[in-house]
Amino acid sequence: MLAEKGVDYEDRPLDFARFEQHDETFLALNPDGMVPVLVVDGRPLTETAYILHFLEERFPEPRLDGATPRERYRTHWWDKYVEGHLAPALAVVAGSRGAPAEAAAGVKRLPLERRALWTKALEDGFTTDEVSSAQTALGRAVDQFESALAETPWLGGAAFGLADILAFPHAERLAELAEVPLGARTQRWLEEVRRRPSVAMVMSRRSQGRAFALGPEAPRWG
Amino acid sequence: MLEVYTWEPNANSGKPLLCLKEKQVDFTYHYIDMGKREQHSEEYKKINPQGTIPTVVHDGFVMTESTPANEYIDDAFDGPSLRPSDPYWRWRMRQVMRYMDNIVCPALAMVASNQLAPPNFQKMSEEERRRELDKIPTPERRKTWEMLMFNTTPRSDIEESKRRIDVAIKRFDALLKDRPYLAGETFSLADIDVMATFYGLPLNSGFEVDAEATPHLWHWLKRCHARPGIQAAFGLGRGFITKRAADVRAALGVETIVAETVA
Repeated sequence: MLAEKGVDYEDRPLDFARFEQHDETFLALNPDGMVPVLVVDGRPLTETAYILHFLEERFPEPRLDGATPRERYRTHWWDKYVEGHLAPALAVVAGSRGAPAEAAAGVKRLPLERRALWTKALEDGFTTDEVSSAQTALGRAVDQFESALAETPWLGGAAFGLADILAFPHAERLAELAEVPLGARTQRWLEEVRRRPSVAMVMSRRSQGRAFALGPEAPRWG
Repeated sequence: MLEVYTWEPNANSGKPLLCLKEKQVDFTYHYIDMGKREQHSEEYKKINPQGTIPTVVHDGFVMTESTPANEYIDDAFDGPSLRPSDPYWRWRMRQVMRYMDNIVCPALAMVASNQLAPPNFQKMSEEERRRELDKIPTPERRKTWEMLMFNTTPRSDIEESKRRIDVAIKRFDALLKDRPYLAGETFSLADIDVMATFYGLPLNSGFEVDAEATPHLWHWLKRCHARPGIQAAFGLGRGFITKRAADVRAALGVETIVAETVA
């Protein structure tokens, strides 16, 4: 988003391999131990989607949250779908495959709301039912991307924008973790997102090797 | 044309009603009777296949998520602005709404529905309950309703939900210490979101919300309940929610200034 807006920033990468996101220094910025955190004039902002909306409103050019109220509703709809529904399902499927034992020390520092998911991942505490429900949700997400991209070329509407930026890394995880393959339109969309200079630049800086991280917990009721 | 399909001015169901009354936008209210589980009827699922309420329809554009729908209402219509102009406070507004959507509302819904619903379902035969469950389109919601209908919600989950609500009450009280509203100096969608769910807390003996324990939250409840838009929205109900809001105003010492319209 910052690259798309052409805004200067200081990058402070965390070492996920040693669970630096659960160190006290980082927890002082975000007690939930979740990345990213954007520090603006000393104030830490959390929640990826809302960091992106903050950047949109602070740096309005070029506009990335949709050209009309309907496109902006779709963008907010994707915020909620990706972070409230897709990310928790991805976390259950990823977590059910186990978490590295080195994570245990830092997890103790997390609030109860966050600790539950990590504890399950560390101790293989997911029920078959939880994992199969999460897989069902991933299957539906594959359909969701495909049907949305049948209506409009980008997730938010006519132009590339905030919804694409937000959903892209989750869609990549979806391709890895879902039992069904992504649809043709979704694969084409992923390719187009990867080809954008901003995305290519950020991806080239990404560290090699696989780090283990867990997304948010699913809503527990309703 | 703007249409709202929803139940009472309560929790998620009430969010678009509170928002539209504050925004002073006219709309058609289609009452969906949750007591009769009308949200799972074939007729309603034609409008919203998810079988959830509320649904907001503007000139054929269907919106089924209440938090994004409230952003849309503020975005698309003229009227008093319900989002702060400063990007930082807008971020705060959304962070409060996300916390409500993900943590607080599910916790309060779990506690409240487990108090109210299971006794009603005991009167129904198992076969009848299964038939009702089959009408629910999404597996997540079917699971929740199954726990309600057969009274199998784990007690430890309900206790954890109560703890989460206690934490939220303290967190909001702290946020309101230096500012009149949850997203700073002006009333916003965050206040609408929290009011829709927390409006009745002064009368709920299960939680400690009063002038001594949570003074900042208490004064915020008074400020919000005194607003004509909020009073008009709570006046839209058909029965006990509207009465409850009036009882809360009496408990808070807030004058009723908007005449209630009986739907």
